[in-house]
Amino acid sequence: MTAFWARRTSAIAAALMLTLGSAAAQDLKIGVVNPFSGGMALYGDEMTRGFDLAVDEANAKGGVLGRKIVIVRASATSAQEAIAAVEQLIGRDKVDLLSGTYVTAISNAASEAALNNNMLFWETNALSRDLTDRGLPNFARSGPDSSAFARRSVEGVLQLVLPKLGRTSQAFKVWIEHEDSSFGTSIAKEQEQLLKAAGIQVSMGSHSARAIDLSDSILRAKNAAPDLWLSTGYVTDHNLLLRTAREQNFKPAAMMLVGTGDTFETRDAVGKEFLDGILLVSYPRSDIGEAYGPGAAAFLKSYQAKYNRDPIAPQSMSAFVGMKILLQALSAAGSTGYEKVIAAAAKMDQPFGTYETGYGVKFDKTMQNVRALPIIAQWQNGQVRAVFPKETLAAGVAMLDLGRK
Amino acid sequence: MADLINVIAVGILLGGIYALVSVGLNLIFGVIRIVNFAQGEFVMLGMYGTYAGYTYLHLDPYLTLIVVLPCLFVVGAVVQRLILAPLRTEPAMQIFATFGLLMLLENVVLAATGGAAYSVTSRVAQISVDLAGVQVGLVRLIALAAATLVTVALGVFLRYSMLGRAIRAVAQDRSAARLMGVNVDRIYMLTFGIGTMLAGFAGCLLAPIYSLSPQIGTSFILPAFAVVVLGGLGSVPGAYVGGFIVGLTEAFAGYYLDPALKHAVLFGVFIAVLIIRPSGLFGQIGAEEVGLRES
Repeated sequence: MTAFWARRTSAIAAALMLTLGSAAAQDLKIGVVNPFSGGMALYGDEMTRGFDLAVDEANAKGGVLGRKIVIVRASATSAQEAIAAVEQLIGRDKVDLLSGTYVTAISNAASEAALNNNMLFWETNALSRDLTDRGLPNFARSGPDSSAFARRSVEGVLQLVLPKLGRTSQAFKVWIEHEDSSFGTSIAKEQEQLLKAAGIQVSMGSHSARAIDLSDSILRAKNAAPDLWLSTGYVTDHNLLLRTAREQNFKPAAMMLVGTGDTFETRDAVGKEFLDGILLVSYPRSDIGEAYGPGAAAFLKSYQAKYNRDPIAPQSMSAFVGMKILLQALSAAGSTGYEKVIAAAAKMDQPFGTYETGYGVKFDKTMQNVRALPIIAQWQNGQVRAVFPKETLAAGVAMLDLGRK
Repeated sequence: MADLINVIAVGILLGGIYALVSVGLNLIFGVIRIVNFAQGEFVMLGMYGTYAGYTYLHLDPYLTLIVVLPCLFVVGAVVQRLILAPLRTEPAMQIFATFGLLMLLENVVLAATGGAAYSVTSRVAQISVDLAGVQVGLVRLIALAAATLVTVALGVFLRYSMLGRAIRAVAQDRSAARLMGVNVDRIYMLTFGIGTMLAGFAGCLLAPIYSLSPQIGTSFILPAFAVVVLGGLGSVPGAYVGGFIVGLTEAFAGYYLDPALKHAVLFGVFIAVLIIRPSGLFGQIGAEEVGLRES
């Protein structure tokens, strides 16, 4: 009797394992490498929320390639941890492909580790132009790169700031401030080239994002007496620069921040009065006009319903759109193999304004999506409002005076 | 000329911040002879304590001192008693323990805050004053005044109070102090508590200047080591003067050379001073053995 029940139990267990194993095999697992701990976790979490929303939407329609999509997270706060995270996702979690990140160094290491394992790495938010310039065969980026941020900021100077101040490029002076890693440096160099080509006088300064004091940076800028102070940096150094600017009574006619400075962290640090009028070059926000980003309002509703709050930062909507583009490329490829997915993505051709962020899809030969552009927003009475291009303006929103008089 | 005056003002104000952060570090080194890697994290805890008082008790950041200082004193005393005292016969292990404490505190705060940058504001933080053509933030002036006050008060306390004399006695010769009836273990605990409280004091005064992040303590600790080595290991006035040397070096290098190079210049000066005068300006040779200076 005992032997009978033992055989019976074994048979049931084996059947269960087979069933569960088969169900697990049907899931399409996307490994996401991001900083989920440490000082960058706030944004790592935020953009992965965008992935989750895109996956929820796709699963509600039956998934992709006939399989339910599952996001598997692995935390990395440095290049070394990124390699370990990729190995864990591939070796232990058996993911089918990889995505992330919002940090260039992490993306760089993780995508190379993915290539060593013959796996796709789909980048949505890391910015450095170098990532696509490497020409890795398993790598594509759906979101804007540092070059797009530089070009958009210069467009903002020429088409927004100069007319608003009633100035021409002659005798107009810009101080370019940037943090000194590849993120800030690459954007600043391109801004310098483009502004000089437009006949604008340019001075530059750099700083460490971890510096305890940035009074010297503000003093140097103040002495140059620029009409526009254009700065690329991270959250804490931007906050310190702005506070120091206030202390030093540094008031150029206009200020423009690139990359950060558009969240509650900066508003709480500097105060809405000082911020009023400051321009921000950033990812498209969920409050942009529907004419520019169709479906942005629906994204905001989904986000609020799932997380019971407004988005912390606009990175989540760009990640959401990046995941949607990836899933479309997977469908077109009929496979998760990187050669087929990259080939399918390279054939995609969607006009601007197709997605919630206003992005379209057209990859260049380095697999950079050239129809993914940031927008320009403005601090208005403690709120960030999209103001450029003009199609981004939501109903009832207008650009304010630049507020630096 | 106006530039030069501005740069000197920036350097002096920055020096006040460094002096504020370093004075507790140097007290702990002078008496207990531990290089406390976690001192920057205690400054960070002081900042977050200020944030908690500001957010939940609706106190002005400067008023949170009445809550933060006793709390940090207790934290320091408990850390000394539970972590450092059991390692008293292993000085190298004590240093590693403070490094472990640094990582522990940073990561606990990271987990609690999710890495978001918090800020506290005070009406004072909005005020900027014009001193003979030099624009100065009032919060930085307050930090400079507080650093001066703390240095003087600590000097008076060590020189004239019974407890201060006992601390100096332990710093000079712990065996002799023990023979004279001084409870050395208690003095160690109190000294570490006072050093930690001074870090908390710095945290309160600096909270309106910086965005709070769990990593901010490590940003303070490297310049703080430069301050105590340049000023003199174990010397309280040395920490004060060292703060200004570091502040002015950074300000001049940042303004006249390149802000990205200022730390390179600072640590170049640091190495040069170590070679020329290893004990620092106010220290004496063998300070790591002798401990706190009376001056």
